Amino acid sequence: MTRKRQLRFTVIRSLVAILIALLVATVLIFISAEGRTFMDKLQATGEALKQMLLGPIFRFSKNAGLSFEAKRLLDIFAAMIPIIFTGLSVCVMFSANQFNLGAEGGIMLGAFVAAMVAIYLPLPAGIHPLVAVLLCGTAVSVVMLIPALLKAKLNVSEMVCSLMLNYIIMYVIKFLMNSFLADKSKGQIQSHRFLESANIPAMVNDPLFIGAKLTWGFPLALIAVLLCGLFMYRSRWGYSIRMIGINQEFARYSGMNVGKTIVLSQLIGGFLAGAGGGIEMLGRYETFSWNALPGYGWTGITIAILAGNNPYMVPLAAFFMAYLSKGCDLMATYARVPAQLINIIQGVIFLFFAADRFLSKYRQKLVVKSAEEELARAGALKED
Amino acid sequence: MLDFLGKLATPEFFFSIIRISVPIIFATLAAIVVEKAGFANIGLEGLMMFSALSGSLVSYYAGSWFWGLLAALATGVLMSLAMGFFAFRLKTDIILVGIAINMMGSGGTLFLCKVITNLTEGKAMASTTGLITRALCIPNIDIPLIEKIPFLGGIISGHNLLTYLAFLFCILTSIMLYKTPLGLNIRATGENPNAASSVGVSVLKIKYTAIAFSGLMSGFGGAFMSMAYAQGWSQDMVSGRGFIALAAQAMGGGECLGGTLSALVFGFAQALGIKFSAIGLDSNLASPIPYAVTIIGLVIFAVARNNRMKKRHTLAAVSEAKAKK
Repeated sequence: MTRKRQLRFTVIRSLVAILIALLVATVLIFISAEGRTFMDKLQATGEALKQMLLGPIFRFSKNAGLSFEAKRLLDIFAAMIPIIFTGLSVCVMFSANQFNLGAEGGIMLGAFVAAMVAIYLPLPAGIHPLVAVLLCGTAVSVVMLIPALLKAKLNVSEMVCSLMLNYIIMYVIKFLMNSFLADKSKGQIQSHRFLESANIPAMVNDPLFIGAKLTWGFPLALIAVLLCGLFMYRSRWGYSIRMIGINQEFARYSGMNVGKTIVLSQLIGGFLAGAGGGIEMLGRYETFSWNALPGYGWTGITIAILAGNNPYMVPLAAFFMAYLSKGCDLMATYARVPAQLINIIQGVIFLFFAADRFLSKYRQKLVVKSAEEELARAGALKED
Repeated sequence: MLDFLGKLATPEFFFSIIRISVPIIFATLAAIVVEKAGFANIGLEGLMMFSALSGSLVSYYAGSWFWGLLAALATGVLMSLAMGFFAFRLKTDIILVGIAINMMGSGGTLFLCKVITNLTEGKAMASTTGLITRALCIPNIDIPLIEKIPFLGGIISGHNLLTYLAFLFCILTSIMLYKTPLGLNIRATGENPNAASSVGVSVLKIKYTAIAFSGLMSGFGGAFMSMAYAQGWSQDMVSGRGFIALAAQAMGGGECLGGTLSALVFGFAQALGIKFSAIGLDSNLASPIPYAVTIIGLVIFAVARNNRMKKRHTLAAVSEAKAKK
């Protein structure tokens, strides 16, 4: 199949999957919409959909109609930071066929370590966040050694192991917060305030966009995307990670060190998740007050699937998920449709994106068409 | 310490181990059967969440636990068949299908709960705990005669109907797998699908049967969670039991009896955790115990398996060498 056709197929397939998910969402919104008559409900559904699809970057007003809202766009960019990191983390691990689902616990641990460094380790301003982020990435890498080594040495399922670790990380952090680290002067359980020097400074903090704040974490995330992409497609290690994902036995027979690569992929995945947690914590918060897993890890899995495990596509997928998530929040506020609709939409899109045979007949048609053209061309050459 | 052990050696403690293990046993049986058919269903967690919700809702609206249980089972089976459709027909990686179901099971159930019940108390929390009364729960059963036995009676008798069903299903599943044509086909499909299909077994049908069975078991597990273990559904109430079951399946060597025993080990760990927090330990320190035990259990199992394999290989090599001489 030609490159152009391949691209067209991918685009159409993605659009159809998204369309199906939105259709499911529409039906669900219609069911939950308020209103007594059919028309009322239909109108409420339309209103809710408008909020979900356009609300994230536009503002509605009675007289002026739609107007672009830069603040909301910045909010979406800010929301993309942690999920770009978890998305990359999952990309690397899934590329090696390692179904490590530890990004969820990893980002919480990373955030926690960053908070601890920010509170208890005084350092000069420029270096402080850097050290914090590096430390939390390393900490999560070390924890990811558990599922990685168990998988490589004993063939223990990294999936079950990492899932269990998520719970353990959450409870241990909660325990440490409750017992030792909480600021007792506050009503809720939260840590002491971070030192000023630890904050990741804002990149955009224009008074024009009141409240809109985008930290340097965003360009950092994009740099991480670039580095991750270079690593996966332009380095020997990245190559062996991808080869092991495609065919582990073949990689083994061609002399690659499979065990080492399995461990490596999960270490990198852990580092990315941890760094993401640290950047999120230092960029957006002043105290540590998470008391449950944040869910960024699961979103990261969806993003990796949407991106087809290609790091360069991660920002696009992350933008899509952040946009949708924001849309669902707005819909919950203005149209009273529960925001958890996002989970169902996410699940449906996820399923269709991951489905190999989805639209396979259409693909088959394209392949046949390409082959016929090729044959015709070859025939024409012969006649000449 | 002795005092604490004394507190443990009560019928109530053993009773609670069995009670806590039930949903894990159901999910373990589900994991065992699909594993025998040659794939893994990691969506058990999500299936149980959906079953738990539909069970408690139908039980409330129909006014009877029986319909609730049926609804939970139907939910489990239908959703697992949908999983099968995506996995076998659309060729989605079965692990990814499982992840998707789990994703929906966490937030999607809350969405459905809010929409159906119109409960949005405090916007954040919504559950059906307010709707389910004692009468809408699946009943407990006192076994005559046995309940009179001093120590043992307190452990065995008075359990929920589903608890007895769980142990019954452990035996039935074992019989199904090893004594019936269906079980033979399931195992054959798992061992070598090409060989199975060459003797006329419809591999696809067997796979669908296996995943539907796992849905049925998850349905039981979910119903137990929302209509026996707790009164009513609340978000993330299954809290990893579906995943623990995957570990129990591996630890039990993929067999029903072993899997059930492993599930009981996890039940023990959890019951111990509850006891720990009862004597004043921070519950956040006690709660991770079952998850940690799961990892340790997996490691022990893997080491034992590897040793067994090594021994077998050495034996084979030695006998081969002897034969050559």
